[in-house]
Amino acid sequence: MELQVKVRELGQELAVVEVSGEADLYTTPKLKETVIDLISRGRIRVVVNLASVSYLDSTALGVLVGSYKRVREKGGNLALVGPQARIRKVFEITRLVNVFDIYDTEEQALKSLGAGG
Amino acid sequence: MATDRGKVELHIPARAEFVGVARLAVSAVASRMDFDYEAVDDIKLAVGEACTNAIQHASPGGAEEIRISCQMEADRLVIEVRDRGAGFDPAGCLKEIDPESLPAHGYGLLLIQALMDEVECKSSPGEGTLVHMVKRLAR
Repeated sequence: MELQVKVRELGQELAVVEVSGEADLYTTPKLKETVIDLISRGRIRVVVNLASVSYLDSTALGVLVGSYKRVREKGGNLALVGPQARIRKVFEITRLVNVFDIYDTEEQALKSLGAGG
Repeated sequence: MATDRGKVELHIPARAEFVGVARLAVSAVASRMDFDYEAVDDIKLAVGEACTNAIQHASPGGAEEIRISCQMEADRLVIEVRDRGAGFDPAGCLKEIDPESLPAHGYGLLLIQALMDEVECKSSPGEGTLVHMVKRLAR
């Protein structure tokens, strides 16, 4: 299965990246390009929705970590939404659960980034 | 003790688009050995990481293919992922990652170690890499 990446820009700094499919060495560059483009255009409060991701490997973790560092450097933040149990396990093994804010719903993640009041 | 239940071997080009082929093939083998869904997912990710590692450490003109073997035994699956790429120092990758430092790389072997029951990684510069992994069937 390929990787699909959809972007919703909700404000001057805010964007939601919806990822679906399998994020691996082959497909992850698409995610990286999308997020780097968003950040370069000032979208530094980013929600990455992983609810429809069925596979996620270390290269995708690397992209998320790199994106997180970039937005933090610019005073923003990056939140993750809804990883399935098998995906959450990857974050737990690598202890990245202690780094990323992971929410059950997009609404919760957006609220944490200061959207909608 | 280990009753041989057969072997599946797969050779893939050492390119990113074939990692998915390897992990799907190996997960299909695991499914036929009565591993539960979670164990099949573990094996799938571990094999994907081993192949990814082989491609990432390939030198230009180096590893052209990755060889994956799955030895099915009565109570375990033994998987070997072998390449003839540039090799690397596995000791540098197997140590625990400090999450505070947030490295962008180095999670692959950490995942393999956590997901499989036994892992051995032999690699040396110029001689390629062998990742030997075992997943035992739950009793």
